[in-house]
Amino acid sequence: MAVEFDVASEILKAAQDVFLTMLMVELESEDAIYNKQADINANLTSMIGLGGGIRGVLAIHCPANVAKAITGNFLGMEIEELNDDVKDAIGEIANMVAGNLKVVYATINVNIELAIPTSVVGESFNVCGAAKAQRVIVPLLMAGKRFWIELMYVVH
Amino acid sequence: MGKNVLLVDDSSTMRKIIGRSLRQAGIDFDNIYEAADGLEALAILESKKVDIVLSDINMPNMDGIAFLREKANRAAIKNIPVLMISTETGDDIIGEAKSLGALGSIKKPFTPDKVNEILGPLL
Repeated sequence: MAVEFDVASEILKAAQDVFLTMLMVELESEDAIYNKQADINANLTSMIGLGGGIRGVLAIHCPANVAKAITGNFLGMEIEELNDDVKDAIGEIANMVAGNLKVVYATINVNIELAIPTSVVGESFNVCGAAKAQRVIVPLLMAGKRFWIELMYVVH
Repeated sequence: MGKNVLLVDDSSTMRKIIGRSLRQAGIDFDNIYEAADGLEALAILESKKVDIVLSDINMPNMDGIAFLREKANRAAIKNIPVLMISTETGDDIIGEAKSLGALGSIKKPFTPDKVNEILGPLL
């Protein structure tokens, strides 16, 4: 089945809706990266598994300062380290972005099932999808600070 | 005596956000209880006076649908109203939640105004 819309554009719109609604923050974006490695400098990655019509993973990759800024804005408090609050908050952001994508895919009769988010703190690791998975990376800017949302998927 | 609410979500961040949204919407509860899954929620409902439950659907251990199903089988708590707050919007899963007694649903992400619009008339 062909996906009939611009996935990167839909990821951007999904993320902008989450950030504007929940954090009252506008996001800007840079050119999306398709099917190749990107220079991602992240200290925290939150992932949510996708099943059903689209199988794969949606991941948010954040440098520490961005993860703390998002969480601080979300919770209305100063965040000093990559603690459980940060892992939970970025995981929940991933959950809501994936939820918005699920709504969009439903309009073209593709049903997506969402798993429960998982967050990893660390550096120098890659997230790999299934063989032949499509890979879209959308670089985003929050107040000039860069983070990335990545979708690796196979259309089932 | 004032009203008490139970927030059920595996994300502690989201429980805080929902609590803050209730206050921003001008909806005051005497007590805001929290549970991380359906099992914890059932234990709180059996031991506390709760007037309404706001529950996520996708949770570990016992999800929101299983929670509704189990709650419906417990006479002492089956009539406590439940509103779902979830990324889930599909007619199938929301329809199942409603068939098990949920009054409605609020989609994440949400604003305090949206919470007030849907929850306010139920109180």
